[in-house]
Amino acid sequence: MSANAPNRKGIEARAALLDLMPRQEEDARRRLAELVESVAARRPPTTSFSRLCILGSLQAKVTCAYLAYWLRSRWADADERERLKSETHLKAALELLGTMGYLRGAVMKLGQMLATFPDALPDEFARLLPALHFEAPPMHYAMVREVFLDEFGREPHELFASFEKEAFAAASLGQVHRARLHSGELVAVKIQYPGIARTIEADLKNLRLLMQPMRLGEDWGNVVAKLAEVERVLLAETDYLAEASFAQTVRDSFTPEDGIVIPRVYPEYSTRRVLTTEYLAGVHLEEFLATAPSQELRDRYTHLMTLATMRMLYRTHWLLADPNPGNYIFMPDGRLGLVDFGCTRQLTEEEWQVQVEVEEALLRRDEKEMERLIVKSSLYESAEQMGRERLELIGTVIRWQLEPWLTEGIFDFGDEDFFRRGMEAMAAVTRKGFMRGMPVHIWTTRFVLGARGVVYRLKGRCDFQDIYRRESGRNKAPA
Amino acid sequence: MRISEQAKQLCRARILEKAAELFSARGFDQTTTRDIALAAGVAAGTMFNYFPSKETMAMTMVNEALARGRDEFLTRLEGGESLEEELFLLIGSELRRLRPLRPFLGPVLERSLSPFPRRNICREGETARQEHLECVRHIMERHGFAASPEDVSCTIYWSLYLGILASWTGDGSENQEASRALIDYAIRTFVQMISGATRGGDHVR
Repeated sequence: MSANAPNRKGIEARAALLDLMPRQEEDARRRLAELVESVAARRPPTTSFSRLCILGSLQAKVTCAYLAYWLRSRWADADERERLKSETHLKAALELLGTMGYLRGAVMKLGQMLATFPDALPDEFARLLPALHFEAPPMHYAMVREVFLDEFGREPHELFASFEKEAFAAASLGQVHRARLHSGELVAVKIQYPGIARTIEADLKNLRLLMQPMRLGEDWGNVVAKLAEVERVLLAETDYLAEASFAQTVRDSFTPEDGIVIPRVYPEYSTRRVLTTEYLAGVHLEEFLATAPSQELRDRYTHLMTLATMRMLYRTHWLLADPNPGNYIFMPDGRLGLVDFGCTRQLTEEEWQVQVEVEEALLRRDEKEMERLIVKSSLYESAEQMGRERLELIGTVIRWQLEPWLTEGIFDFGDEDFFRRGMEAMAAVTRKGFMRGMPVHIWTTRFVLGARGVVYRLKGRCDFQDIYRRESGRNKAPA
Repeated sequence: MRISEQAKQLCRARILEKAAELFSARGFDQTTTRDIALAAGVAAGTMFNYFPSKETMAMTMVNEALARGRDEFLTRLEGGESLEEELFLLIGSELRRLRPLRPFLGPVLERSLSPFPRRNICREGETARQEHLECVRHIMERHGFAASPEDVSCTIYWSLYLGILASWTGDGSENQEASRALIDYAIRTFVQMISGATRGGDHVR
């Protein structure tokens, strides 16, 4: 790390650590992808989550220190030798992270997000996909049985007519098994890793400890607020009963004609740690793309994905805070299945009001009002206080996010130029360390990024404005 | 007058029952043998004919619970489990039976199962060790591993097992779920280690 690395570099590093988002320049992203791959490919010899318990916070502190060291040095315009050294540290950090706690989940999520944008990355990254999407620390069946005894007082084979001992998918906090009810229905049973909530708490405590001495300056208060927000949403995700209730709300807002399927929840087979839902037959994005689907089919699914997210947003004010390819099931009959509502965030009245005001200003093309709202949501008192550069960069990102709202007719989400402009704008914001904003923006950004990543890979198009008008109830065309 | 075997058994059971109640309510260290004798309605001298110490009482309860857990483990075996899974199932079944005693187990296990040599070894503690290891040895044999009670692998296994018990007795998480991850880790570490050993290890050429 160069000796005169300014504090600003540190802020960028911390921002990147905070969001764990792939916004670095391409070269670094590629190297990071390779490192993630090497960690993901080497299956840890033990159940990863359990390691935190035995090695405890000491290991977490070492890991975080490593990671902090790497993040600091990586932005420091280091020479080649220094760069290699810092990468060695990152590798050590990732390997440690890869063996412990929920941060392993974060490493995996980082990989997932990187994996959503393969065009920006070299070929080797494509090999990461299957490993990251379905590689999770496994629970053997004996452990599953013990969890069932705790949750239901009965074993899986006593509860279900049949129960597959091997999981068929990984969930962010556990794994999913196929089973059949005595009444004949095929179901998906999501089981949570024991003790994961405590692990999340411990991880975030470590993260705060790590960030404390890094002198964040004016944005420290905002970072603390964001970490609290992250913790709140992640801990909420550990309550499967809350997820079940949300899934039911979403399910009620769709009709069979919509072509969107939200799996039915079976409350009598669900607890805070086990969630049983209808099993949806179909394939995930990768398999779907491998069938070389027609443009018509790609457009249909893009339409359905847009419709689904719009309806959730405008009817229930909920965001899927972590949309990833695993959430979407491409069903054989052309319907879209939406699964896994664990990571969701409902907008507060105030946050919703900002959303409405931004849309209205945008549709009126009222630049002055847009500027006022950008300043407000970046938590500044005035444009002068915010600074011209920050205002412009944040404005570019927000306008990119809202571009489909302003486009009449078919919008092409597969357009490379559109996608790149957005990624570049976000990268610029991250490089500058302009991360201050309402905590909810962690999720709105992930929401937009995740969803856009999926439809970009799908190379899909839809009449976005038409869907927006129907779902928002704002029927007037923009002036 | 000689009392019948049945009456002896009833008296023994009553002492254990009252001891468990008092240990749970007051804590192990805060309960005296006098309290127990009083609650069970027997003379202190009579009680010592059954149990020489409160450690022995507590460990008798522990051993009975562990034995029930092991019986249950055998009925739960489905065949086809890996070595890790069998060991996990064994410990899981035992701990489930121990759960009612958990509130007062910490000091009991600490004293009776301590790996450090003690002047007054609690015989029941040694019984607990031998019976558990015997079961583990059977499991290991089923999976093609040989082990005798005094060899290195059994010693290491026992250390890990004591670590699990220590964590579990103090585990404040719901259903002691934090310990479940620890059990998994400890077992995998153990199996990995003995699997490596059977291949001769890197340093043996």
